Amino acid sequence: MRSYIAFCKKEVLENLRTHKVLILMIVFLLFGMMSPLTAKLMPEIFKSLALDGIVITIPEPTALDAYAQFFKNTSQMGLLVVLLVFGGMLSTEITKGTLINMVTKGLSRHVVILAKFTVASILWTLTLLASFITTFGYTAYLFGSGIQPNLLFSIFCLWLFGLFLLASLLFFSSFTSGNFAGLALTAVSLLILLLLDIFPRLHALNPITLASLNTALLSGASQISDLTLPVGVTLGLTVLLLGSSMMVFRRRKL
Amino acid sequence: MEKIIEYLPFLIPIILLELVLAFSALIHLLKHPDVKFGNKTIWIFVVLLVQIIGPILYFTIGRSDQS
Repeated sequence: MRSYIAFCKKEVLENLRTHKVLILMIVFLLFGMMSPLTAKLMPEIFKSLALDGIVITIPEPTALDAYAQFFKNTSQMGLLVVLLVFGGMLSTEITKGTLINMVTKGLSRHVVILAKFTVASILWTLTLLASFITTFGYTAYLFGSGIQPNLLFSIFCLWLFGLFLLASLLFFSSFTSGNFAGLALTAVSLLILLLLDIFPRLHALNPITLASLNTALLSGASQISDLTLPVGVTLGLTVLLLGSSMMVFRRRKL
Repeated sequence: MEKIIEYLPFLIPIILLELVLAFSALIHLLKHPDVKFGNKTIWIFVVLLVQIIGPILYFTIGRSDQS
């Protein structure tokens, strides 16, 4: 337990000193501010485009549009940034050999994986929360305060999908070598999940629905019951990926 | 255009945050002797001209590991 806390502290320090916390916070705060504003200014932007003879009329934006922008930004660019920032959390330490000293001095390899996952998921939670609170405040100010249905559940889904991505990053980094192989494999598996999303029958089993149905949940096009199965599948897969990355990492040569 | 000026108080923090990101990357870049890929001149342009993504790419891929 003591080594776990110590390693967590080391991870936090590393993330602070390599500017990772700074990047995550700034990017997610930017998304939080930009999303309601883009929704609000959308009619102006279209007006300034003023194509000859083509009149584009879009309805007065609502709070739903603001959240639609928010979920679009965070689930695409946001998750991409998370992948880039945490992509090397295990593989760079393996390539640089910085883990060898600690492991030979008695640090358990399970602790390495668990502490890395803990710190990354805490950072992800905090940044998503900060971004969400900003969007919530801006939306309430710009569009008036109306509570959207399923808003908290929707953000929970996105959060859980982020945890799933972090677990898959650790899993793929635990047996690959080189700085970017783990990240590349995670990206490939994400692409496969995206392709599988074409088949409606697989929606109930595909974790990616957690990051694609957020706006539909708010508008009422999807219900919470549509997502209970994907939530279960994603939770199970996250635990499975973490467990197997611990098993694999125990046997690998550092 | 009037509407843009009306929302200026909302735009200023966004611009400020982007500048913080760009300049922290630029300072890091100038303080360190080399980068992993390409050369420093290219990275200066990337960091300053590509909004948001430029500095992120620098910190995650481009930066050298020497502290």
